[in-house]
Amino acid sequence: MQQTKPYISTPELTFPKVGFLSAEQWIVGSHVLTGLVALLIGIFLGPFQVFRRAPALKWEIPVFSYYYQALTVHGVLNALFFTTFFIVGFSYFILMRSLKREMWSTKLVWIAYALMLIGLLLVLYALITNQANVLYTFYPSLIAHPAFYLGLVLLVVGTWIVTANLFLTYNLWRKENPQEHLPLAVFATLTNFVLWCVASLGVAIEVLFMLLPLSLGLITHTDPQAGRALFWFFGHPLVYFWLLPAYTSWYTMLPKQANSKIFSDPLARVSFILLMIFSIPVGVHHMFTDPGVSAVMKGIQTVFTFIVAVPSLLTAFNVGAMLERAGRNRGAKTPFDWMWKQDWKNPVIAAQISAMLLFITGGVTGIMNASLTLNIALHNTSWIPAHFHQTLGGAVTLTFMGICYWLIPMIRGRGLYSVKMALWQVHTWSIGMMIFGYTYGAAGLIGVPRRTDLGAAPYINPEAVPYLNMSIISGVLLLISAILFFINMAGTMLLSKKQLTEEAPIDTYVESKSPLWMEKWGLWLSIVGILCVIAWAPVFLEVVDFTHGFQIPGYSPNGGLYKP
Amino acid sequence: MHIDRLERYWIIAVGVVFGAFAAAIVASVVVFGVHLPSPVGRIDPAKLAESEFAKPGLTQDSEHAYTLRMVAKMWRFDIGSKEPQPTIKLPAGSRLKIVATSLDVTHGIYVERHDVNVMLLPGQISQVEVLFSKPGIYHIICHEYCGPGHQAMIATIEVS
Ligand code: HEM
Ligand SMILES: [Cu+2]
Ligand SMILES: [Cu+2]
Repeated sequence: MQQTKPYISTPELTFPKVGFLSAEQWIVGSHVLTGLVALLIGIFLGPFQVFRRAPALKWEIPVFSYYYQALTVHGVLNALFFTTFFIVGFSYFILMRSLKREMWSTKLVWIAYALMLIGLLLVLYALITNQANVLYTFYPSLIAHPAFYLGLVLLVVGTWIVTANLFLTYNLWRKENPQEHLPLAVFATLTNFVLWCVASLGVAIEVLFMLLPLSLGLITHTDPQAGRALFWFFGHPLVYFWLLPAYTSWYTMLPKQANSKIFSDPLARVSFILLMIFSIPVGVHHMFTDPGVSAVMKGIQTVFTFIVAVPSLLTAFNVGAMLERAGRNRGAKTPFDWMWKQDWKNPVIAAQISAMLLFITGGVTGIMNASLTLNIALHNTSWIPAHFHQTLGGAVTLTFMGICYWLIPMIRGRGLYSVKMALWQVHTWSIGMMIFGYTYGAAGLIGVPRRTDLGAAPYINPEAVPYLNMSIISGVLLLISAILFFINMAGTMLLSKKQLTEEAPIDTYVESKSPLWMEKWGLWLSIVGILCVIAWAPVFLEVVDFTHGFQIPGYSPNGGLYKP
Repeated sequence: MHIDRLERYWIIAVGVVFGAFAAAIVASVVVFGVHLPSPVGRIDPAKLAESEFAKPGLTQDSEHAYTLRMVAKMWRFDIGSKEPQPTIKLPAGSRLKIVATSLDVTHGIYVERHDVNVMLLPGQISQVEVLFSKPGIYHIICHEYCGPGHQAMIATIEVS
């Protein structure tokens, strides 16, 4: 059947068993490494925020000495740029390897990359020159320099081009191979970009029609409540956009690395479909304490939030069963000893299993946050950073680091610089994040606010002081961990003389009878659309003031009215 | 599609647990009377002088009921006094209604040890009610970043 394909446009690629083709090397390498550079800048501010907020130290943050500038850099570079660049590179890798072909258009790959890179530079310019201290949520009516918004627009437009390229690649492949089994990793990647595209409409509207024109002086007023609704339409699915690539690695790559087998491929697909559909109608759970949204809509989106937790619990079972099999293969006998009988000496495995362990607390605290009335005790306290450093900082970032431990060696074509250093990095990271979670969580319950320069605050609840001081331990551990990680990455790129031995942990497609209905993207999009209308239309009708329009002028984050 | 027996049990357990969580939330509202901030109206921050916020401050409504009108602005809570970090005094057992808005950017209030946690947005009126049953000093803390003075945006409630 190879000869009768009517649509051939790109030749099938034959990948080396070990190592990369140069096309992969450049495409994947440039995105992942750019992401790591963003992380390098963002991550080192984290421990110094901890030190600044600890009453025993109150150190000023080096480099970005103004606290809220540092915090904006930390949030924007880690959560928006590192994640996006990394995920895009990883997704290209998954598609090319699994479908054994080049991207639909390599030129588009580079156009998108250039847009995203210019976006990064513009945002960095605005941040470094102290003109965009608006934090990574950039709520109006604080208004930043136009370069900040323009940079974000370029980042998002870049990802739309990426999405088109991914889907066109998949489409061509599907036309040529109408009966074949779509590898799970590709399926998951496509669901992730569907989710992303729908979600990013919210923030695109917010930036293009509210923030950027105000920042440029084209309009003079805005509406903070409407802005928050648009942002959180995007903001919640955004966290799933970070998480799904980690799930993809746990479901499809970890089984090979741990010498096991996926437990249930169809249920994994069901999980990804559910995540794609239900991650959108839930963003109001970030607005439980907003004055402009009715309690009914808050209740409805709470229900959807509980539903979107279900596929994650399915994932816990599915991945847990896969790991049990891996443990049994290594000689585990009793009901629970399979957890210890994993290959903990392999940093790729250790990182991912530690990430999962952090995700247990991340998930539980997340369900607490989503619990409507409980949220009153937690919202905007330091409990919240405690929570998302278990999920984003823990589960997602540690999994991405684990991926780096095999992916960067492949990009470079050499072995990992130091396995031992990698293992130390993984353990300092997970212990550091646990201590961070415990201390910041406890301080939050006592009422310590987040996003606050406690080093300069006239008042800190004395009961919280011991916890904030204890968090210094987590800052130290995480600082060490971050240094070990980047030394290892730089060492692998520049110094390593070791031979590359590992194969890419990727399934290529095989003929099979996997249910094709799962690839009905139009159907999924329509369901997403219907749910969006049910869950979000009433919210927008509430928050937009149709009689008066926008009434609130913009303010500079450094004080006073905003002047374009 | 085949679903493993144990996995089926797991799915059922997940369903039951979430059902219980949802029931607990409903109970917190219906039985324990926890209330979420809900819309009470909009206000144009340019016209505060012509509104109930013209004279912010504490008023007594009845023996145990008080209303605090408050305007959050960069970077203090305006409750009628000139102090940067103002204080109000209440007897124990008072029920306080806080009616607040923002003049400029997004702020928020969190009252230590009490169920008060609400965003203050320019253009929106926020309203919450809270009972101060025990004597003590409780701070009102601005919990949303609002610019360089944010960390000092604090007021105090003294309950005696
Ligand atoms: C080296 C480890 C890290 C430490 C010690 C750390 C520490 C912190 C602290 C203390 C805060 C809260 C500051 C405040 O609320 O005033 C914070 C906020 C944040 N962190 Fe981290 N962090 C680390 C790594 C990361 C990573 C890897 C990511 C994401 C990939 C991340 C994403 C964020 C985000 C999005 C915020 C919220 C910023 C905001 O509230 O505007 N952090 N971090
Ligand atoms: Cu969310
Ligand atoms: Cu504030």
